[in-house]
Amino acid sequence: MNEAAIRTQELGKAYVKRRSLREIAMSPFAAAEPVQGLVDVTLEVRRGEIFGLLGPNGAGKTTLLKILAGLILPTRGRAEVEGFDLASEDRAAKRAIGFVTADERSFYWRLSGEENLVFFARLYGLGAEEARRRVRDLCETMELKDVAARQFMSYSSGMKQRLAICRALLHDPAVLCLDEPTRSLDPIAAKHLRRFVSEKLHVGRGKTVLLATHNLAEAEEMCGRLVVLDRGRVVRQGRLEEITGGLPGRDGYVLSVTGNGRVPEDPRWSAVEEPQPGGTLRLTVAVDRGGAALSDLLRRLLAGGATILSCSRREPSLQEVFDLMDEGGGGAP
Amino acid sequence: MKPLGTLLAFLKRDFQIEISYRTSFVLQFVGILFSVVFWRLLSRVVTAAPDTPGLDGIDYFAYVLLGLAFYHYLSAALLAFSSKVRQEQMTGTLEAMLVTPTSLGTIVLGSALWEFVMTSVKAVVYLGVGWSIGVNLRWEGLLPGLVVLILTILAFSGIGILSAAFIFYLKRGDPITYLVSSASALLGGVFYPPEDMTGWIATLSRFLPITYSLRALRKALLKGSGFGELLPDIAALLLFIAVLLPLGIVAFRFAVRKARQEGSLVQY
Repeated sequence: MNEAAIRTQELGKAYVKRRSLREIAMSPFAAAEPVQGLVDVTLEVRRGEIFGLLGPNGAGKTTLLKILAGLILPTRGRAEVEGFDLASEDRAAKRAIGFVTADERSFYWRLSGEENLVFFARLYGLGAEEARRRVRDLCETMELKDVAARQFMSYSSGMKQRLAICRALLHDPAVLCLDEPTRSLDPIAAKHLRRFVSEKLHVGRGKTVLLATHNLAEAEEMCGRLVVLDRGRVVRQGRLEEITGGLPGRDGYVLSVTGNGRVPEDPRWSAVEEPQPGGTLRLTVAVDRGGAALSDLLRRLLAGGATILSCSRREPSLQEVFDLMDEGGGGAP
Repeated sequence: MKPLGTLLAFLKRDFQIEISYRTSFVLQFVGILFSVVFWRLLSRVVTAAPDTPGLDGIDYFAYVLLGLAFYHYLSAALLAFSSKVRQEQMTGTLEAMLVTPTSLGTIVLGSALWEFVMTSVKAVVYLGVGWSIGVNLRWEGLLPGLVVLILTILAFSGIGILSAAFIFYLKRGDPITYLVSSASALLGGVFYPPEDMTGWIATLSRFLPITYSLRALRKALLKGSGFGELLPDIAALLLFIAVLLPLGIVAFRFAVRKARQEGSLVQY
């Protein structure tokens, strides 16, 4: 049995950069410059998991989601959703996937939430009565029942986002693609939405969720496995601990010290010092892996007059992985 | 049955949106009343000689009334396909529709339906108001008139779909809408008979489907002509359909494929 809900193989997308009038005037016959949106993206999302798609703006997350939703044709490679090839079985693939766009305007503002959903349900091939029944059920599940008859334009951002998720679930797809679903939500609404996706959609209904986000805390909280994209390329892929586990060449430690806790300068380590209540100092350090670097650091701290209260190994956060990528230290582990 | 259900869903959606703007909905019909009265008064002052080529003994008010009522089908075809697509692109609803299994052709056709329904209602109102103030409509020409109307919608739709193709590819600056609607209003016999035009202007009017539509519709509804007399105009419309409809569909498919390749399908 095929365990992959989504599979891409060497998926690539090159855009043609539109030339300005000045460029056309200066060199009218020059070939347009291609811009790489995705480069050889190979990944597999397993059935029933929440898979994170991470990366900074312009990394290619939305391009990948739009290819899976059938809105953009890839330049090369292939992609499958629930075993359906996007190139040859796009209708079947569309029935297997629900896409929640990042654009919260994508409804008819003069219609009620219910009228909007019934219309889109008909586009998913549901009959009139079936559409109404399904919309009622979803509105109840998504806690929109009381506002379903209100015009969409009166909805809060949180309601609009929940309505967008309702729309993606109208045809009961196996896979749900969420493009930055909490982007325009306040922290409390974002927390509720994350809990809803994790508990009701993923655990409750067994949906496979592909979550594109640049919110690292969100990815850490929700995703079992993830892929990190940068400039269209997969730079890291795997379980969360595999991605954060070990920055290339360095290990992270947290020390609590009293006395003179100033960290001596040395190319083998870097540190951030944070004074704590009670006069202690918290040192977050990244030390060269292997060799005597950690021992040397501790020895020199003690020699400088510090008392070490605790020292523990600490995995770097996704933020630190991103920071390292930003400094050019990224790369597939 | 499903495609029909989908098209009905589009009609219902547009009806719900339309009546949510109640004042605007009513004012459209008030506007028709004013327009008919305006042309009625104007035609009392500006009277054409009965032997003017193209009028063929028809009263000028009746001539203009038919021209106005059915010119709206051209506007509808041009607006329904291209403007609606652009509007849906801008509101983000096109993307939401394109991720459903419904084909793009059904989406575009469904989006255009309401315009044609409303145009038909407006045409009936135009004719009704005209009839109530003295225009003599010939009921025996109703069936041939309906056939001509269907051919007219198909021919205009070819232009409309071509126009939508431009919107998908160029996003703005669709040259079809502007050129065809201006030329049709001026040269196609809406206000002035093309038969009375001379030189290159008269030649140009022969390349516009509206010239044949309006001539046939006037003959049917104002003179009670049967299919036999309408045959030359019907043949011309069939020729336009044979050229414009496949051209529009091919251009539309090309533009959509290109837009999907460029990733600009929902950009505007």
